[in-house]
Amino acid sequence: MLRFAVALVLAGAALVASFSIRATELKPWEGGATPPLALEDMGGKTHNLGEYKGKVVLVNFWATWCEPCRAEMPSIDRLRSSLKGKPFEVLAVNMAEPLSRIEKFSASLPLGFPLLRDRDGSVGKTWKAKLLPASYLIGRDGRIHYVAYGELDWSSDAVRAKVAELLQ
Amino acid sequence: MNRRIFLKSAAAAAIAQSLPWRTAFAQDGWRTFETVTRVEVRDSFGVARAWVPLPMEMDTSWQKALGNSWSGNTTTAEVKHDGKYGIAMLYMEWSDKVMNPVVEVTSRFMTRDRATDFARADSPIDLSAADRKFFTAPTELIPTDGIVRKMALDITKGAKTDVDRARAIYEWIVDNTFRDPKTRGCGVGDVKSLLESGNLGGKCADLNALYVGLARSVGVPARDVYGVRVAPSRYGYKSLGAGTANITKAQHCRAEFFASGYGWVAIDPADVRKVVLEEPPGNLPIKDEKVVAARKRLFGSWEMNWVAYNNGHDVKLPHATKAPKLPFLMYINAESDGELRDQLEPDSVRYTITAREITA
Repeated sequence: MLRFAVALVLAGAALVASFSIRATELKPWEGGATPPLALEDMGGKTHNLGEYKGKVVLVNFWATWCEPCRAEMPSIDRLRSSLKGKPFEVLAVNMAEPLSRIEKFSASLPLGFPLLRDRDGSVGKTWKAKLLPASYLIGRDGRIHYVAYGELDWSSDAVRAKVAELLQ
Repeated sequence: MNRRIFLKSAAAAAIAQSLPWRTAFAQDGWRTFETVTRVEVRDSFGVARAWVPLPMEMDTSWQKALGNSWSGNTTTAEVKHDGKYGIAMLYMEWSDKVMNPVVEVTSRFMTRDRATDFARADSPIDLSAADRKFFTAPTELIPTDGIVRKMALDITKGAKTDVDRARAIYEWIVDNTFRDPKTRGCGVGDVKSLLESGNLGGKCADLNALYVGLARSVGVPARDVYGVRVAPSRYGYKSLGAGTANITKAQHCRAEFFASGYGWVAIDPADVRKVVLEEPPGNLPIKDEKVVAARKRLFGSWEMNWVAYNNGHDVKLPHATKAPKLPFLMYINAESDGELRDQLEPDSVRYTITAREITA
């Protein structure tokens, strides 16, 4: 019975793996100037991207209904933890969901970065975040340098190298 | 459908039926829906590609896009746009090393019923000269000269305003066409052939394209709007809603015309003919009260148990090997090893679309 259960779990894992080969990569941004972003987090504190100048910022648009968004969150948190003490911040912007849903998600997956609320999705539209997760890596100069649409392993060497390049 | 939901919708339908259509519509607010499209390119050899239409990106007073996401084993997944009409689609590509190409695309959007109050010509929206020209121009399958214009001039004789002309064409379509259940998919919208054949049967892409062609040919800006039904009708019409959560074959296109003072006006003569043919017990007479009510309602309003994708024609699929021009993009398209699969045969690509309303 135990052997059967293990086999079932392994088969399930193989199926999940075969269904989630990642096609996403960080690509150089060619979309022009950084749009403004000033949004409240779940506690009501406003985060203004303009005030983060001098830091590398990952702006990540996400939703609880977006499976790849949820899947990549832990890797974002791992990246953030590994850069502790360095000028690196994450602003995760939820797209137009009720506070109760975000709170439920946050309780199930505690994260070390603020979850901001784009209440009507208008900020996401300004950022052209049509395909979620939509992630923008902003350099210390305040400009967007890289973009990724889709799930990414943010703790991978390839991503770390690009973040390190921006931190220099 | 569970009993509680059924009772709720039955009660809503009963209330709605006791109200004039417009009053019932005005009481509705925004509803949120999710669609999940799963595409498998079967028996794929070589590079595979797929194109999935996405909800219209532009926010309107009746639809707002909330976002899309995907998961699967694609090598590339990008939002692409048709240059002329701005049609949004998710383009996916699988390398020849991927044996079983598969993707799931999730889209969320909000909709709200829409209606035009013809007693108030106070809409500030106007069309630029360029837009007016764009929405009165012919397309490959919708000419605006020859038999189309001749027919439209006859139909609109004596009509003084754009609304009069639009209404005359609407009534003519309802009175003179029929829904042909044998038409593949939603039809192709070959307006000239339809008129020349004298056989005015078809489905929404034929009948509403005929409307658009006739309207454009007499200078009334008009456009088809392609999409898919996502929920049952709450107004007592079984034929005008998605019967189940599986909406793989629930594609439907509608139409709009533009009139100064009213903006874009929703119409759907093809759905009137659908009520005639399909509303139980079927083959209803044109004077049946359900048909009469639908006919009145569908000149000026839409129930938004449907999501709009786009209003494009003559669509070139980006990166398609043989770059065929489609009359419109309403279905999932896929190709493998350079051959485009039949978009009207979901089993040749194996795709399913499911929809659900988000209530919490």
